[in-house]
Amino acid sequence: MSLLGIAWRNIRQRLLTSGLTALSLALGVALVVATLVTGSIVNKAFESGSGLGYNMIVGAKGSPLQLVLNSVYFISRPIENISWPFYQQFLPAAERADGVDGTYAASTQTAVPICMGDYYRSYRVVGTNAAFFDRLKRGTGEAYRFSGGGNFRDEDFFGGVLGATVAANLGLKVGDDFAPTHGADDGKVHDPFKVVGILARTDTPIDRGVFVNMEGFYLQDGHAKPLPEDAAAQPEPAPAAVHPSGHAPLPEAQREVTAILLETASLPGLPAELTAMGLRTAINEGRDGQAALPIAEIRQLLDLFVRPLELLLLLVTALVVLVSAIGILVSMVGSSLERSRDVAIMRALGARRGHVLATVLIEAVLLAVGGGLAGWLLGHLLVGAIGPLITTNAGVSASIFSAAPLAEALLVPFLVILAIAAALLPAIAAYRTDVAKWLG
Amino acid sequence: MPAPVIELHDVRKSFPLPGGETVRVLDVDSFVMTAGEQCALEGQSGSGKSTLLHVISGIMRPDSGRVVVDGIDLTRLDEARRDRVRADQLGLVFQQFNLLPGFTALENVLVAMSFGSGRPDRDRAAGLLAAVGLADRLHHKPAALSIGQQQRVAVARALANRPRVILADEPTASIDPAHQQQVIDLLKNTCAEERVALLVVTHAPEVAGQFPRRLRLEDFNRAARAAVRPA
Repeated sequence: MSLLGIAWRNIRQRLLTSGLTALSLALGVALVVATLVTGSIVNKAFESGSGLGYNMIVGAKGSPLQLVLNSVYFISRPIENISWPFYQQFLPAAERADGVDGTYAASTQTAVPICMGDYYRSYRVVGTNAAFFDRLKRGTGEAYRFSGGGNFRDEDFFGGVLGATVAANLGLKVGDDFAPTHGADDGKVHDPFKVVGILARTDTPIDRGVFVNMEGFYLQDGHAKPLPEDAAAQPEPAPAAVHPSGHAPLPEAQREVTAILLETASLPGLPAELTAMGLRTAINEGRDGQAALPIAEIRQLLDLFVRPLELLLLLVTALVVLVSAIGILVSMVGSSLERSRDVAIMRALGARRGHVLATVLIEAVLLAVGGGLAGWLLGHLLVGAIGPLITTNAGVSASIFSAAPLAEALLVPFLVILAIAAALLPAIAAYRTDVAKWLG
Repeated sequence: MPAPVIELHDVRKSFPLPGGETVRVLDVDSFVMTAGEQCALEGQSGSGKSTLLHVISGIMRPDSGRVVVDGIDLTRLDEARRDRVRADQLGLVFQQFNLLPGFTALENVLVAMSFGSGRPDRDRAAGLLAAVGLADRLHHKPAALSIGQQQRVAVARALANRPRVILADEPTASIDPAHQQQVIDLLKNTCAEERVALLVVTHAPEVAGQFPRRLRLEDFNRAARAAVRPA
C-alpha cells in the first residue's frame, strides 16, 4: 500500500471533515477562477477594440478617451461633431466635389465617417457609409462577413446592417424594418430603415451596433445642422442623388460627422508609424478637431482602471482561498488527536517519521488538488452561466470554455504550495508523535 | 543450539519525574531469546514490561547497554534504521489490537507490508488472514469485526513481513475468557509454523503456564525487583 493510498484512506476515514474542507476550498477557487476568467474577458473586450481595422480616430476636441469609448465601444456620449469640410480634408480628389486632394489625403488610406446620437432599443445607431464594411478590415485582417444579406449601398439611403448580438436579441432578420429613436431610447421616433444585412459574430463591440446609411440618417428630424442666416440666402447646389422615395440628400453645408475612423497610409520614405504620428500632431495642432490613437487610449484605460480593479478583485478572492487553506489547517489540527493514535500504530509497524510526515502532506495536497479541480470546474460553470449576460453587455463571447490560461495553470501549483504550508504544522506534529505514549 | 534473535546486555532505562529526579525502569544485565523460541514474560503492573518491549522493538532507546535483534545492534542505529529493523524483523501485537480504523482487514496487513523492505504482497496478506480464519472478512473494517476477529487481524499483521520475532503485549487482556485460548493457540501455532520466535508479556498465570519458557520480569530486571520489594 503506497503512501498515496494511505493518505487517501485517511481522507475517506474523515469523509465529512475532508469533504467540507475540500468544498470550502472549491468555493474559494471557483471565485478566483470566475474572477480571473471574467478579468480576461474584460481585457479581451477592450483589446478586441484595438484591432478594428483603423488606427486613428478623429473627432471633436475634448477627451481622447471619451472619443475612443464612444467611437469604438459605443459607450459614453459623443463629445461634439466635427465639420463636413474638415472631414473632406481626409478624402482624395476622386471622392471630393472640387476634384482636389484633401489636406490629409496623402496620409490617409481609408477615412470612414460615423454619425451618432440615435438608438434602437438601447443599441447605438451608427450612421456611416458603405466603406465601413467594404473597406475596413476586422482586427484579424479579414473582411467583415455577413450571416445574412450584405452591406448597404451608398445610394440605398434607408438600408441598415445589424450586429450579430442586436439581430439575435431583437429577433430581426433581413427585410425587416426598424425605426431608430432620437437621442435616447424614448426619444422621437425616426423614419424606418430596412435591414439589408446581418453581420456574422465578431466578438467585438460591432456586434452591438446598428449601422445605417448616413444619407438616411442625415434626413431625420434634428440631424441637419442649422444653416447660418447669411448662408440660408445662398443658392443650394443641385443634389448628387435622389432616393427612390423622393428624398434629396442633405446639403453639405448642413452636414456634420461625429468622428472619422482613419486607416493611415505610409508617406513615401516614411514608416507607417511615423506617418500616423505626423498626422496626429498636425491634426491636434489645428483647431478643427483632435486625433486619438485607440490602442494607446485603450492601454491607458486598462492600466489606469481595469487592471487595478482586476487586481483588487483578485486580492479579495485570493484571501478567500487563503481562508480555505486555513480551513485545511484547522481540519487537520482538529483531527490530530485521532491522527496521533494512527500515526503511533504506523510508526510501531515500522513507518519512519518521514513516512508519516509525507502522509499528512499528501493528504493536504489531495484535498487541495481535489478541491482545486472541483473549484476550477465550478468557476467555469459559473462563467458559463453568466456568459450570455457578459456577451450581451460586453459584446464578447463568454462561455464555459472561456479561460485565463496562464493564471489558471498556475492556480493548482499555487494551491498545492498553500496546502503544504497549511499542513506543515499538523505534519510536524505527526512527525513528533510519541509512539510509546500512544501505544500505552 | 539455535542462534539468538534477541539479546539484551547491561540495558538501563530511566524516566524523569516531575520533581527533576529520575526513576529507573529497566536494569537488565542479560536477556536472550533464540530463534523459534516461545517465551511468556510475567510481571506486575509498572514492572517495566511495556518499556522492555519498546526497547527491544527500537521504539525507545536505552540509556545504556546493547539491544541486539537478529544480530543487529539497535543501539548503534539511528531512528530511521531502527524503524526499518522493526518493520522487517519484528511483529508487534498489542493489548488494544491497534488496528487502523479506516482500513479494512486486508489493508491493515498491507499497510504493515508497506513499511518493510519487500513489496506489499496482496496474496500473502490474504493468505495470512485466511490462515487466522478471516478469509471471509478481508474487506471488513475493524468496527465490523468482533474483538476476537480484530486480534486475529493483529496477529496476521504482525506476521506480514516474515519477522524473526513477534512481541505480544498482553494479547488476551481485552478479550473475553472464551476467546483468550483461541488467541493464544493462534499465536503459538502460527509462530511455530512460520518459525518465528514469540515473546508474550502477560500477567495471567494460566496464559504463562502454556509456554515452554516462563519468566518473571523481576527475575532479571533489578529495577522491577526494587519496585516490588516490600517497604
